[in-house]
Amino acid sequence: MGHGHYIAPPKGQYQVQAGEVLNLQFVVLPGESRDIDVSVDLLGPGAEAHLKGLYLCKADEKVNFRIVMHHCAPGCKSTQLFNGIAGGEAQVSFHGTIVVAPEAQQTEAYQENHNIVLTPEAKVTTQPQLEIYADDVKCSHGATVGQLNEDELFYMRSRGIPESEAKTLQMLSFLSPVVPEGREEEIEQAIRTL
Amino acid sequence: MDKLLEIHNLHARVEDKEILRGINLEIGPGEVHAIMGPNGAGKSTLGAVLTGKPGYEVTEGSILYKGQDLLAMAPEERAWAGLFLSFQYPVEIPGVTITAFMKAAVNAKRKAAGQPEMKAGDFLKLMKEKMAFVQMKPEFAKREVNVGFSGGEKKRNEIFQMALLEPDLSLLDETDSGLDVDALKIVADGVNALRSPSKSAIIVTHYQKLLEYVQPDVVHVLKAGQIVKTGGRELIDAIETKGFDQF
Repeated sequence: MGHGHYIAPPKGQYQVQAGEVLNLQFVVLPGESRDIDVSVDLLGPGAEAHLKGLYLCKADEKVNFRIVMHHCAPGCKSTQLFNGIAGGEAQVSFHGTIVVAPEAQQTEAYQENHNIVLTPEAKVTTQPQLEIYADDVKCSHGATVGQLNEDELFYMRSRGIPESEAKTLQMLSFLSPVVPEGREEEIEQAIRTL
Repeated sequence: MDKLLEIHNLHARVEDKEILRGINLEIGPGEVHAIMGPNGAGKSTLGAVLTGKPGYEVTEGSILYKGQDLLAMAPEERAWAGLFLSFQYPVEIPGVTITAFMKAAVNAKRKAAGQPEMKAGDFLKLMKEKMAFVQMKPEFAKREVNVGFSGGEKKRNEIFQMALLEPDLSLLDETDSGLDVDALKIVADGVNALRSPSKSAIIVTHYQKLLEYVQPDVVHVLKAGQIVKTGGRELIDAIETKGFDQF
């Protein structure tokens, strides 16, 4: 069911052996441009990788993610969730690829990337990609780029919540699935600088 | 100050369509006014303009609230000044709990009035009391705002917010639509409990169900963007028997 012939990607930075679980968390806060290049090889049966990412960008910052999740063995599982907000003239790109090798039957692989743009000048491109060479797999990917919801914003303002505070609440709720435990306040402070 | 709200020759449009065509309306402290009218008369537009919803353009006329130019105020400033709209279609806010939502609202209002934030314990106690008042189960405090609520639950949540914020002027936009009799009574009790010599309300509706439980002082008929008739409760009966075509 894949397209073309299976060519194994170059070996990744993370290699997860049978039965092991890899958890990775990425946080990019305003004030820096970053290139994040990650590849994960799930090498043995039952290996798992769970990736979460959060990014907040403003001014002329550039943040690029390139993620390759390579399922090389049967019965492996991977999840990826990346949520980010771009303001100012920031440029964000997200390229996420899931490769499922022919021998990686009973694979479960999920990838989501959701973005909010705050200004007309901010730019987000997102490109999730699936390359599946096995036939017994559960895979899904999804990507969205949107704006803060105007109806929610007005509803909150009509109750007396100032516009900036209402936006902060919206952004916090959008990011909450990817905020690392214990860093809630730091993230909230960072949101207020956008 | 003798009037709470003074609307003079209000014209408003949405995109290129003129919806309000010269509304005149005065509401005094303690008064409850009903505005009735057929679909498309401009009832919801009036509520939207009063609360400052983006997308509605006032082309002529003025609104004074407590003697101030209401149209110059941001939606949140209107709320701080004691204006409240019960939405016809309450908005869902995924990821924000009712507690977080109302805490932000109450404290913003206090801050605007130069008061300190409410202590967490006091706030929770107040919330519990007001939720019991509209018969909302305590677990709703942790639910995301309106997410997965039934129609009746959404309307009760509006009345709960109203009870908590204790506005001086409440606008109820079709709050009775889609409610069964029990929910209607809860809503009516909520509105009646807020009645006082200083607090006023506008009940916008196209039928008279809610008005059986909340007795208005004045009844207006809104048609094609204008108030075409003003009177007492006898107008409700006239509408009930002969509809809006008589006006």
